[in-house]
Amino acid sequence: MAGKLVQVATETVTSAVASVTLTGIDSDDVYMLAFNNVVPSTDSVDLFCRVTESGTANSTANYDYAIKLFRTASSFLNISNTNNTVFDLGNNIGTNTGEATNGIMMIYNANNSSEYTFITTEFAEFNSSPELTSWTGGGVFTSNSSVNGLHLFFDSSSNIASGTFTLYKVV
Amino acid sequence: MSNEFGYIPESPEQSFGNNKGIFTPKDIYDLTRADKYTNYGQLELIETKTASADSQIIFDDIKQDIYNVHFLTVTNFSPSVNQRNLSVRFFENGVEEAGSVYQYAQQYVGSNGAVAEQKSTGAGALRTTNSVGDAVNRVGNGYSYFYNLGDSTKYSFQTYMNDTIDQTNVFYGIFGSGVLPQASVVDQIKLYVSSGTFDCSLSLYGIKEYS
Repeated sequence: MAGKLVQVATETVTSAVASVTLTGIDSDDVYMLAFNNVVPSTDSVDLFCRVTESGTANSTANYDYAIKLFRTASSFLNISNTNNTVFDLGNNIGTNTGEATNGIMMIYNANNSSEYTFITTEFAEFNSSPELTSWTGGGVFTSNSSVNGLHLFFDSSSNIASGTFTLYKVV
Repeated sequence: MSNEFGYIPESPEQSFGNNKGIFTPKDIYDLTRADKYTNYGQLELIETKTASADSQIIFDDIKQDIYNVHFLTVTNFSPSVNQRNLSVRFFENGVEEAGSVYQYAQQYVGSNGAVAEQKSTGAGALRTTNSVGDAVNRVGNGYSYFYNLGDSTKYSFQTYMNDTIDQTNVFYGIFGSGVLPQASVVDQIKLYVSSGTFDCSLSLYGIKEYS
């Protein structure tokens, strides 16, 4: 079993839902979220993520992140936030043809109740401009708690119109 | 394929994550081929190719109908001509897209302190490495993820990270993303250099999900 990905949870959205929750983190292994073809119902919104504890999303102001945002038609940006209530996983994701976000997020120390939960991110999206945007960086959930999953949703109460989200354990 | 899979005369339904019975090697073989045998390891090797003085390598069976996400590793890319990238082009339904239609945005940081932002909305290819020198120990290593290659209604995306050593022995860390902004089925991936040849080991994986 060494050196493999083990699927923990998956959800494919084909009709609009408010959010997706993937749970099943129950060991101190590194976990990986892969998502593709994620499109909102409302144009130009951000994709957000919260961690879940015992299946419930944590909405406290314990999310810090630092991101480098690359764009093909505009200047690059540094994006950072401390004590936010979400991880921001994307910027102004569009709804027109081809516009979507895709990416990989690695999750560290989630199950360990004596450590913060860290993430690293690398996403590629075609935003509402439309413009290729790369979203690369990391974040930390600054709470010593046992995290068992992820809760993903769009800003501005937008539904998730489509997308596949899969959580793996790296063993 | 046996009907029983260990149960006589019953034939329990078999599926990934829910196998019942005692299995012979043939049962396991048949179930695996039917994608019904629980064998975790969703990072599945599609193919490894080794370039040796080749000008291009093409993965022509990328199983885009099975995988939403692909993972490519690039090991010890070494070009014969100085300062060459290992570039990527896609084939759409068997036809190479060679137009200036690719887009990418990336940042590099050099061991000499150099920092640069690079981007294009009209590139002739995507990248898996930056410019690599042709002297001893000048190589590039890295990985790429590709998304939606098999979806005819979606653009094909890439995220990547690599490190390279250029001709002046400066190390660079590079990360970025790319897109072929055309809704199409991508069924082949070509890795190539713009001139000369290259040596390299390339492994293409599929990241499987079971709904």
